[in-house]
Amino acid sequence: MEAIIPVKNGQSVKKYSHVLVRFQSLIALFILCVAISLLSDKFLTVTNTWNVMRQISVNICISVGMTLVVLTAGIDLSVGSVLALCGAITAGLLKNGIEIPSNNLFIGFTLLGAIVAGLLIGALLGLFNGWAITRWKVPPFVATLAMLTIARGFTMLWTGGYPISSLGSGFDYIGTGWLLGIPVPVWISGIVVAAAIVLTKKTRLGRYVYAIGGNEQAAKLSGIRINKIKMAVYTTAGALAAIGGIMVTSRLDSAQPNAGITYELDAIAAVVIGGTSLSGGRGSILGTVLGAVIIGVLNNGLVLLNVSPFWQQVVKGGVILLAVIIDKANTKTE
Amino acid sequence: MNIQKRFLPSLFLWVLPVLFCLSACRNNPAAGKPKRMAVVVSTLNNPWFVFLAEKAAAKAKELGYETKIFDSQNNTALETDHFENALASGYQAILFNPTDAEGSVVNVQKAKDAGVPVFCMDREVNSTDAATSQILSDSYAGCVALGKYFVEKMNKQGTYVELLGLVGDNNTWNRSKGFHSVVDYYSGLKMVAQQSADFDRNKGMEVLESILQAHPDINAVFCGNDAMAMGAYQALVAAGKADKVKIFGFDGAPEVIESIRDGKIVATAMQFPEVMANTAATSADEYLKGKRDFPKKLPVAVELVNKEDINDYSAYGKKE
Repeated sequence: MEAIIPVKNGQSVKKYSHVLVRFQSLIALFILCVAISLLSDKFLTVTNTWNVMRQISVNICISVGMTLVVLTAGIDLSVGSVLALCGAITAGLLKNGIEIPSNNLFIGFTLLGAIVAGLLIGALLGLFNGWAITRWKVPPFVATLAMLTIARGFTMLWTGGYPISSLGSGFDYIGTGWLLGIPVPVWISGIVVAAAIVLTKKTRLGRYVYAIGGNEQAAKLSGIRINKIKMAVYTTAGALAAIGGIMVTSRLDSAQPNAGITYELDAIAAVVIGGTSLSGGRGSILGTVLGAVIIGVLNNGLVLLNVSPFWQQVVKGGVILLAVIIDKANTKTE
Repeated sequence: MNIQKRFLPSLFLWVLPVLFCLSACRNNPAAGKPKRMAVVVSTLNNPWFVFLAEKAAAKAKELGYETKIFDSQNNTALETDHFENALASGYQAILFNPTDAEGSVVNVQKAKDAGVPVFCMDREVNSTDAATSQILSDSYAGCVALGKYFVEKMNKQGTYVELLGLVGDNNTWNRSKGFHSVVDYYSGLKMVAQQSADFDRNKGMEVLESILQAHPDINAVFCGNDAMAMGAYQALVAAGKADKVKIFGFDGAPEVIESIRDGKIVATAMQFPEVMANTAATSADEYLKGKRDFPKKLPVAVELVNKEDINDYSAYGKKE
């Protein structure tokens, strides 16, 4: 709980630190790109750039939600499971609809209907997280850990443990299509990022999110309705995980029951590398995007260079650690 | 605070009787000594193992046993708990798919000491006498056959990529070694990249997308399971190279069988989970009826499936 940033007179310091944090991730990304392109001439090509962008778009969606949650000094461990469940629900509704044999009722779903249902379920699960955290004072770590298991269980129940595949044409556009020369997933994640930046920088809700993470007690005393805002944040995180789930499902033309396992860790890594403090109140969406890009470039580069899979895990862990060490050093010298 | 104070004690008051009731429900049928078999499976997070467990349970049920499936979630410690619970609640036999060849030995031994026979399915435990019988999928031999077909289809030359499964998994290396035991003899066949995609469809696609950047002209991809093969196929379609690159999988999953028929994937190695599950359940039944001589190891062949003989096969097995 050190370094509580005063809202008014510390504004300039805060701005300065933001620039610094953003700058530092950018430098890291630049060095990484130069290093990889020196070692492989296949890295800095147009198709590979689109590859990396498309691959990270799912992580970006989840990480944006995670950033909002972490800014309130919370955490959401359930995003990977929620992603799997929402992808599976969209796929299942699209392919099989709902049959209620007792009433001899069949409900078919259009593409839009199935997607909206998936998004709604994601938002509902997020809302439930927020509700458990605010109403019953369950620590976010525990509440979302429980949801991680619950949502995975529901995914298994819904799919019966088997993938739901061949979802028909039209649906694959979300994951594999192109629009104005840019892959559709990149559009989606771009819109999510833009909306989140506006939310955090330009709206009262965004300022409250920072305020809650900075000092929850002070925020409460100044009349901010903490519970409502926390619920909104977890709901957003759930809905964004659902978007990620629909994109993954569309890309693969298949909803895998084991999709999204450990995605929460990738998202947390992106948030942390991007310079958002896990104790809340400090960080930015743009930083997280850079964090996600760094992870994506690393994943891509290590494969391009055919680095042994054993070493890849060591390198990725090392990068996360290094990023946080540099970040800590910077906050101290602020 | 207030809410918690009122809520917690009342929660306990409600939950405790329910728990008593549950254990009572569990004990009652055991008193009447029905015949019961436990199915302990390494994971239900993978369709192949779901199929194996369901088939084993179905066969046992057909033979007149009550069954329950225990999911070890790839965790040997959890598996130990399942064994203890199964032994304590009076299961007479265990149909077992181990999480780990070494780590699972103690569990099997514990069951043997308690006089409960254990029949291993698909994966083995490294002990010659703990399990009553081990009905095993011969991954290595299956990949030798696949490797031979690979060499033939490639005309002994070309470049290829190998997608490995989870690098900490025995099966990953059994399959890889079987494949390389053949293919490495041909100097015309060059492996340009060997990367792990964790047996996962999404990772398979993403890893191959990246590899295709470094090696756009590969001729083939060998995948350690069918999920990765489907992912690889999707990456190749997106790159417009699906018709130029030959894909080889392993498992015999439903979609890959369809894909081989359509010529999208060249071949896979068919395992027979249903055969293994049925053999295990039938053997356990025979054991409980008095039979004692079982082969310690019963290998179940892994067969090559390609377009020529695809009509003999369906998902996870032969056509009936």
